[in-house]
Amino acid sequence: MADSVAVKPRDAVTEPARGGHRSTKRSRREARAAYLFLAPWFAGLLVITIGPIVASLYLSFTDYSLLEEAQWIGWDNYVRMFTEDPRFLNSLWVTTVYVVVSVPMQLAFALALALVLDRGLRGLSFYRSIFYLPSLLGGSVAIAILWRKVFGADGLVNAVLAVFGIQGTGWVAHPDYALGTLILLHVWTFGAPMIIFLAGLRQIPSSYYEAAAVDGAGPLRQFRSITLPLLTPIIFFNLVLELIKSFQSFTQSFIVSNGSGGPADSTLFYTLYLYLQGFRDYDMGYAAAMAWVLMLIIAGLTGVNFLASKYWVFYGDTK
Amino acid sequence: MSSGKRKWSAALLAAALLAVTAACGGGGDGGESAGGTVTLRFSYWGSDARQKMTEEAIAKFEAKNPTIKVEGEFSDFDSYYESLSTKVAASDAPDVIQLEIRALREYADRGTLADLSSSVNAADIDAKLLATGAIDGKQYAIPNGANAFSLMVNPALVESSGQKLPDDTTWTWDDYVDLASKITAGSDGKVTGTQLSWNPAYLEIYAAQKGESFYQGNQLAMSPQTIKEWWAIMQKLIETKGSPDAAKSAEVGATSVDQSLLGTNTGAMGMWWSNQLGAAASASGQNLELLRMPKLEGATTGGMFMQPAMFLAASSKSEHAAEAAKFIDFMINDPEAGEIILSDRGLPANAKVLAAVRDKLPEADQKTLAFLDEVRSELKDPPAAPPKGASAMEDILTRYSEEVMFGRMTPDDAAQKLIAEANASIAG
Repeated sequence: MADSVAVKPRDAVTEPARGGHRSTKRSRREARAAYLFLAPWFAGLLVITIGPIVASLYLSFTDYSLLEEAQWIGWDNYVRMFTEDPRFLNSLWVTTVYVVVSVPMQLAFALALALVLDRGLRGLSFYRSIFYLPSLLGGSVAIAILWRKVFGADGLVNAVLAVFGIQGTGWVAHPDYALGTLILLHVWTFGAPMIIFLAGLRQIPSSYYEAAAVDGAGPLRQFRSITLPLLTPIIFFNLVLELIKSFQSFTQSFIVSNGSGGPADSTLFYTLYLYLQGFRDYDMGYAAAMAWVLMLIIAGLTGVNFLASKYWVFYGDTK
Repeated sequence: MSSGKRKWSAALLAAALLAVTAACGGGGDGGESAGGTVTLRFSYWGSDARQKMTEEAIAKFEAKNPTIKVEGEFSDFDSYYESLSTKVAASDAPDVIQLEIRALREYADRGTLADLSSSVNAADIDAKLLATGAIDGKQYAIPNGANAFSLMVNPALVESSGQKLPDDTTWTWDDYVDLASKITAGSDGKVTGTQLSWNPAYLEIYAAQKGESFYQGNQLAMSPQTIKEWWAIMQKLIETKGSPDAAKSAEVGATSVDQSLLGTNTGAMGMWWSNQLGAAASASGQNLELLRMPKLEGATTGGMFMQPAMFLAASSKSEHAAEAAKFIDFMINDPEAGEIILSDRGLPANAKVLAAVRDKLPEADQKTLAFLDEVRSELKDPPAAPPKGASAMEDILTRYSEEVMFGRMTPDDAAQKLIAEANASIAG
């Protein structure tokens, strides 16, 4: 998980060299022991991760129902996806809207709260825990069910709206709003990026602000000229992470729409459609092909992200 | 002594140990153990209550057949086919498999199931019901319970809204819509007349009243006109407030019967399978009744039908075909199993078992039974199992129905697209 990637002070990374020349033999032996201890992990990686990945690449070129042997059909699955399957394109569209809207909103929200918490509030750790809580819960089944209740026709949201005389609709089950409720659910899980932002804010030397204040810079100017540039690596890190994570969102849509992606396919996430193809419609070959397309999309996006980062991410130590 | 050597030998030992356990895992399933006993694996879905009953029935079977051991593999319905298909893919199929009609041909047409014609006695099962488990003369699955899709009503709520229960032998779709909207109006909106259903069985009944069948071979056989007229009933219900609006309907439609309008006493009617009466009644806590589905004016048939609630089947790869058949035979034909399971898997399909346990059934099921006996002579033949690839039918139907109800597609357009997509799904 991302949360453990706290930003360490830079000098802590370089460990003081211990023994110098004396121990090449010993270090070789230590390396061997290290590999030995790593071996189970490598075996697991090979058998549980890399093996299935290779197998799924093969399966993506087959017609495979799970119940019969896979039949090689070449590029058919990939061709079908882009030429004959409007639901595939729809699921791609739904997911893209979800990612493009929810990720920036979530990061902005996380940053705003991190700035507030960075003011040195009393009971900071308490607030930090409270705000972090949704991140732990957000992807869970229980919260998705809760969401269905809160945004239902007789839910909490409509009860509040009724106080103001507004007659709400069934938000989770209306094709125009259902995706919106899922986006809100995602934004609500701002805790993880918030914690990372907080750690990032703590890294910015207070002397910069003092100097800026002496020069007469107001809070807004300080934020724009000091906080934001120095925080860009953190923003970049959060952006990459959240983009990848939200493209793979599954639980929210699966639970809120009761496994259908409904109403009228308005919450049909890419991964949900993949799951339905593989496990309900007995078309595992197609599902495997979809998984590879998703991987390429995410890899492509992350690549673009890294390329673009050259133009806006500012590392203090690069010249 | 170098500690390195010791480390290596420890690693070797560990690796050897792993290899040994892996080998055990691979070879251990379904084999005969030393005592000559055979172990069968029986996979089924259901509630915790069903698991308890099933375990009890299994214990009884094992007591009668000391050389056979049965291991139940149990999961909830949502993840059932996921794990079943994975097991089949891994050449690790359970010997005895519980299936429902939608999945029957997905498995049978792919050679997963064994022909039980000669190994399981099915003499006491209604021949037409039994035929739904047969494909091309091979009996791939034996029905162990029966069901009819029908209308449930809460008489107290109908009356408190100032309305009377309809005469269900003569009522039409117009009467149904009319009654529903009057219930909503008569109760000042506290009770909604009915809730919408997109169950393919409902459309199948409606199509039958128009003289059409749902499937014909590997094709959808209904005309677009039929589907449009069917949607018109639901559109009119929404319009006249006989049902909730499209959004609330979609929301309620995604919940199970115990959270339905009828189950929460906020609706007076609804359509479900007859064996769900017990669940609906216990959620509502009030008296619920079953009614015949409304008819088209001038229709010669009501279109209602019996369908197996579920089947028992055996894997074609099972090494213990005879024992598997014996277990299926016990579950379906033995009154002792019937007494334990009662109506949990639908009303027993075996007539003798049904007669033996009749008085022991819970109240709701006795009511269901009385209802089914009453309408039995009017029912059309049980439809054959839907073709392979039709698992998605309910989703397809729901999706296009919602498009129409939300006004995002015209009924014309939606009916055409529905038929095209369903046919493609069946053919693919």
